[in-house]
Amino acid sequence: MMETLLSGVEQLFTLGTMVSMLLGVIAGVIAAAIPGFTITMAIVLTLPLTFTMAPLQGVATMLAVYVGGYSGGLISAALLGIPGTPSAVATTFDAFPMARSGQPGRALALGIWSSFFGALVSAVILIIAAPPLAMVAVKLGAWEYFSLIIFAMTVVASLVGKSMLKGLMTGLLGLFIATVGADPMMGVARFTFGSDLLADGFPFLVVLIGMFAVSQLLQEVEDAEQIKQGKRLINADVSFNPLTAMRETLAYPVNLLRSSLVGVFIGAVPGAGGSIANLLAYDQARRASPTPERFGTGTPEGVIASESGNSATSGGGLIPMIALGIPGSAVDAVLMASLMVHGIGVGPRLILDHGDLVYGMFTAMLVAAAMVLVVCLFSMRFFLRVTDIPRSIIVPVVLVCCVIGAFALNNRVTDIYLLLGVGVLGYVLSKLEYPLAPLVLGVILGPIAETNLRRALMTDEDWTLFFTRPISLILLVLAVVSVALAIRHRLRQRHAPAS
Amino acid sequence: MSRASMTHSPRPAGREGAVETTASQANARAHIVLNAALAMLFVGLFAQSASLPSSMWEPLGAGSFPQLVLGALIVINLAIIVQEAKRYPRLAAPPHGLVRDWLWRHRLAMGVLGLFALFSLAVPVLGFPLSALAFLLLVQILLGARRPRSLIIALVIAGVFSFGLDWLFRDVFVISLPRGPLG
Repeated sequence: MMETLLSGVEQLFTLGTMVSMLLGVIAGVIAAAIPGFTITMAIVLTLPLTFTMAPLQGVATMLAVYVGGYSGGLISAALLGIPGTPSAVATTFDAFPMARSGQPGRALALGIWSSFFGALVSAVILIIAAPPLAMVAVKLGAWEYFSLIIFAMTVVASLVGKSMLKGLMTGLLGLFIATVGADPMMGVARFTFGSDLLADGFPFLVVLIGMFAVSQLLQEVEDAEQIKQGKRLINADVSFNPLTAMRETLAYPVNLLRSSLVGVFIGAVPGAGGSIANLLAYDQARRASPTPERFGTGTPEGVIASESGNSATSGGGLIPMIALGIPGSAVDAVLMASLMVHGIGVGPRLILDHGDLVYGMFTAMLVAAAMVLVVCLFSMRFFLRVTDIPRSIIVPVVLVCCVIGAFALNNRVTDIYLLLGVGVLGYVLSKLEYPLAPLVLGVILGPIAETNLRRALMTDEDWTLFFTRPISLILLVLAVVSVALAIRHRLRQRHAPAS
Repeated sequence: MSRASMTHSPRPAGREGAVETTASQANARAHIVLNAALAMLFVGLFAQSASLPSSMWEPLGAGSFPQLVLGALIVINLAIIVQEAKRYPRLAAPPHGLVRDWLWRHRLAMGVLGLFALFSLAVPVLGFPLSALAFLLLVQILLGARRPRSLIIALVIAGVFSFGLDWLFRDVFVISLPRGPLG
């Protein structure tokens, strides 16, 4: 094993590979920082450029884009309140208020360090535990997936804000929006009313951009007086202290490790992904915190949980791919395509037949995490200048980028119309103080929940299997405990003496 | 997220009860109207989902999951209506021009939204470069670019982020955005 590891490392540390990885990291960070562009899109655009590279160099470059993308989403999440990628939704909950309170540098620095440590933990776990973790991940059947989604939905209880009813409504609205379009099992058109616009349903990215980006940008221009005065996004002197932020990040070791482990586990579950991991990690951090009421106001714990959770999915997603040949996410599917282009078959024997390549990939994850840290720390001062740009410029430019992102997803003009409609809905909901995060969560989880519920019952109509299969039962019990704790917390808040 | 601004009206002489705010009453009224409309919409969709086909291969059909979700949505909307109605049992008639005042206070956001709608509709007709150019220029003018120097800056930014982005995606990323008459 040592010889294989050293062979992989030797192949990785060549000038050409290091340069292409560095460019990949920069591309991933920039692509993810722009609302509307996703890591998947960045990886897909990188794929053709790797055809002429050696296999390890090509895969390492794409891994660099992958890892860079998970960190890049932090930038617009913190500075604009718009998640740059779906995996940065929970980052907006605390990084954005922290930035708006005059500490954008602190928000970005905490996120960068948390991303680094999350990616580091996932790379270490990947190296040590890939095969056994993969065996657990594939034991999950449709019952376990459904129960996992039920547990994930209890995160809504943390996202509802002041009104449980409003939060539940937007969460259920998200579940309903996800049912528009073709039925996942039978292909029957649902709620399309014969319209081409709705025939393919609501793409998740369009909902995310519309809900968060469009509504947030409209709120930026509400104050006519501030616009007239050319006020900046953040009217404070911005400072950036990376060493202080590193110490602050490491001051929450339990949060960091727990969130990273959540990210690795969720990443290892095929189909789950960073968009769920950051929300789950955030929710778990909030529940475990002695001061949960500070979450959502700009607490460092929230930023650390979200960013370490989402970055840790990068390593977790490789686990089923390397151990079993099953992609953990769309990005992993593209990585598999890259290996196939180079004539390398991906399957359970990958680590046996191409050990040097696999260990090279593990090492590439570690190197990419370090590169992202260095690139982000050096470039954050530049990104912080975004706060100097007047709103009159930044709002229309970001809206144009959102339109490009919505169109480029499927090359459909109808997605732009859907973006407009969802944006208006998001703005109306936000004016009436409905939380938007549960809606996005519902759109993410709805299709997975429905597909697995129906698949489970199609396999065996016995409902009790949800409670008799051990992993499914554990997840359902965790969901019940999660809801009970949330209700208890609310009741305590309601009866707490006024300060 | 922004919060509704609170304005206080003086306590009417001789009337009991807590001091009501004009904005809070308007908010409650808006909730009742919105949630009632949504509840009716969801009832209609629930009825439609009952007509979706079932399958001989599974106990649940195409309409089962939507029915579950829509049923819960109807209940929650009704609960929100009851909650808002209980909070403000005696809603006074809204002051004259309340909606107009709200729209005036949010005129810039409404203007940007209107231009964004026009931009979205214009993309397939005029193409991305031209519609983005017009959108970027008009929004910057709406948001305060009036002097010659700021107009020139607005024009440069509009050019870069319309034709510039179109070139970047077409020639670098090989993604063709709608070209319209320039195609």
